[in-house]
Amino acid sequence: MPDRGLRISGLRVSVAGNDILKGIDLNVEPGRVHALMGPNGSGKSTLALALAGHPGYEISGSATLDGLDLLAISPDKRARAGLFLSFQYPAAIPGVKVSSFLQATRQAVKPGDLPPAKFRQLVMEKMDLLDMDPSFLGRYLNDGFSGGEKKRLEMLQLAVLAPKYAILDETDSGLDIDALRAVGESLGAMRKDAATKEIGLLIITHYPRILQHISADVVHIMVDGRIVKEGGPELAHTIEREGYDSLREVAAVSV
Amino acid sequence: MSEALLETKPKLWESALETIVSDDGALRVSSPDTRVAALDRYRITTANRERPGRYWKLDLDALDERLSNLAMAPARANFSGGTAPALVLCDLESAIQGDAAGFQSAFGRAIAHAPGKYAALTQALQRGGAFVHIPADVCVDEPIVVTYRAENRTASFPYTLIVADRGSSATIIERHEADDGNVFVSGITEVIAHDSSAIMHAAVQRLPEDAIAFFTRSALLERNAHVSWSAAELGAHLTGSTIFCAIEGLGAASHIAALFFPHGEQHVDFITTTDHLAGESQSRTVIKSAATGNGQARYLGNIRIAATMHGCDASLKDDALLLSPHAHIDSVPALEIAANDVKAFHGATVGALDDESIFYMMTRGLTRDEAERMITLGFFEPALDHFPTAALREELRQELARKIAS
Ligand SMILES: Nc1ncnc2c1ncn2[C@@H]1O[C@H](COP(=O)(O)OP(=O)(O)OP(=O)(O)O)[C@@H](O)[C@H]1O
Ligand SMILES: [Mg+2]
Repeated sequence: MPDRGLRISGLRVSVAGNDILKGIDLNVEPGRVHALMGPNGSGKSTLALALAGHPGYEISGSATLDGLDLLAISPDKRARAGLFLSFQYPAAIPGVKVSSFLQATRQAVKPGDLPPAKFRQLVMEKMDLLDMDPSFLGRYLNDGFSGGEKKRLEMLQLAVLAPKYAILDETDSGLDIDALRAVGESLGAMRKDAATKEIGLLIITHYPRILQHISADVVHIMVDGRIVKEGGPELAHTIEREGYDSLREVAAVSV
Repeated sequence: MSEALLETKPKLWESALETIVSDDGALRVSSPDTRVAALDRYRITTANRERPGRYWKLDLDALDERLSNLAMAPARANFSGGTAPALVLCDLESAIQGDAAGFQSAFGRAIAHAPGKYAALTQALQRGGAFVHIPADVCVDEPIVVTYRAENRTASFPYTLIVADRGSSATIIERHEADDGNVFVSGITEVIAHDSSAIMHAAVQRLPEDAIAFFTRSALLERNAHVSWSAAELGAHLTGSTIFCAIEGLGAASHIAALFFPHGEQHVDFITTTDHLAGESQSRTVIKSAATGNGQARYLGNIRIAATMHGCDASLKDDALLLSPHAHIDSVPALEIAANDVKAFHGATVGALDDESIFYMMTRGLTRDEAERMITLGFFEPALDHFPTAALREELRQELARKIAS
């Protein structure tokens, strides 16, 4: 297949008149793990939300998913094309049960591919991997969920929807040690599963900790709306030791 | 004679009364004097209900004219579902003819707490209706379904009296339907809940969308009684719906859950009033309303706790969702709490669908329409939750979904 990958080039985003992303070039390759790090407010979530189709952003540049122009289509079509975003702050929807939501979204993304019994079995397996109690299925979507529970539910949705590319926006923040390991195992299992082993991951994080559970092939550093450095997994540790100060200078110079 | 067409003249209800005067059965239920007095109350009570909503469009004083081409029909109740030994299900005329236990002392007792124009009209013109008597300590497991099906081009006055003797329990589902439009229905439901009885009543109004409907539902709760009202006002062009709870017994508890969803040109006026007339009593009110198209609604929620009533616990939660720029919902909660050692909570919201929620759901592959449908249905869930039986809840969800898509 020609031109596979989640390809972002020259992406500029402004929100309410403020330039947030100032020309992002980043390619997420199928089957690979990319980490995106950067100081608070550097634009990581804005990039994730822009790719997912957040309304109210002014966007130029391009973003394609396996050749498909993402910027031209609505958020639901992006999802059906195989894009998934694990939200930094997932919305709570009272009155909508997790079970019916999972069913409706799987049906939307992969229509009619699983009979109900098989689907239930799939959900149970994925919940088990994430150490989630089946009682979550009867609760309302993110309603009254703790921070960590919301993140686990994002990971459950990721596993159930089995997208081609997934952006994890600080999924590791707020997770306890056990939950972090469970998330790592769930992602690891997806990368072994024949159906999802080609998944391309963009993991937005502040901590190298999650990268001990799922190792990054490439690390990108965003400062002030730009990618200022890229490197191998060791870059995450350098950042942890030294912080972003030296890179901020790089960003300032490249203005 | 009992189904004689009304003469087409302005004094519509007077002529309706003449019809009743020739109906012996009806007159045994309620005497001519009582009926004439009720009709006078109807006449002098202001038509636009006590406090009209801002978007109230219909001139109710002109309603008499408008209805002058309707025939007056007795309200025939059809019973199905729950049975139990000694459970009485019959029309009001049969109840009085058979001198049914519990009837005379109960009839009119709860509605006395619920003065209102259309309650008075129903008291004046009642024919037919239903009497449900649950004897002491009898538990009716399966819901009793009382269905009123209004005939085309008729005015009818379904009057349902439910008497729950000490320690009894039952669920009653009251349905209002019609095959064709152009009906006028004004109904009363009374619940007399004696000591330690538990009554769950669900009203499902699915009249055609050019019908006009008024309902006054009133419950009287004695010691430790539990009454739960749930009401879904889904049909009719104009619906005026009122629920009263008079809590007269120590330790009694009432629950009101209501949902309505005017779409197109529908208008709903909904009033709930809970009177804590005894200490240590509890009330819960949950109202969920949405409006779309040019749909209009007004909700008035009253909770009253007199100064001498100690240890009461009342809450009222009322949420309104506006789905179109031309839809309106006015929401007026009013708590009159004179006692000071009570718990009282009230919360009201009016808002549109949350854009971030819609976006979140769309990133999971759901179309905007699907997302809006799910969020809106979810919004109604806390009220739906109080309706009996999974089948009924599903029926209501489907009807709500139909309106969302409209
Ligand atoms: N709707 C908005 N209006 C104005 N400014 C906004 C809006 N959304 C985001 N911004 C700004 O854009 C910048 C980037 O925000 P973004 O959330 O993308 O940062 P981030 O890198 O994800 O930070 P963090 O690590 O704290 O999550 C911030 O300065 C933020 O205040
Ligand atoms: Mg962020």
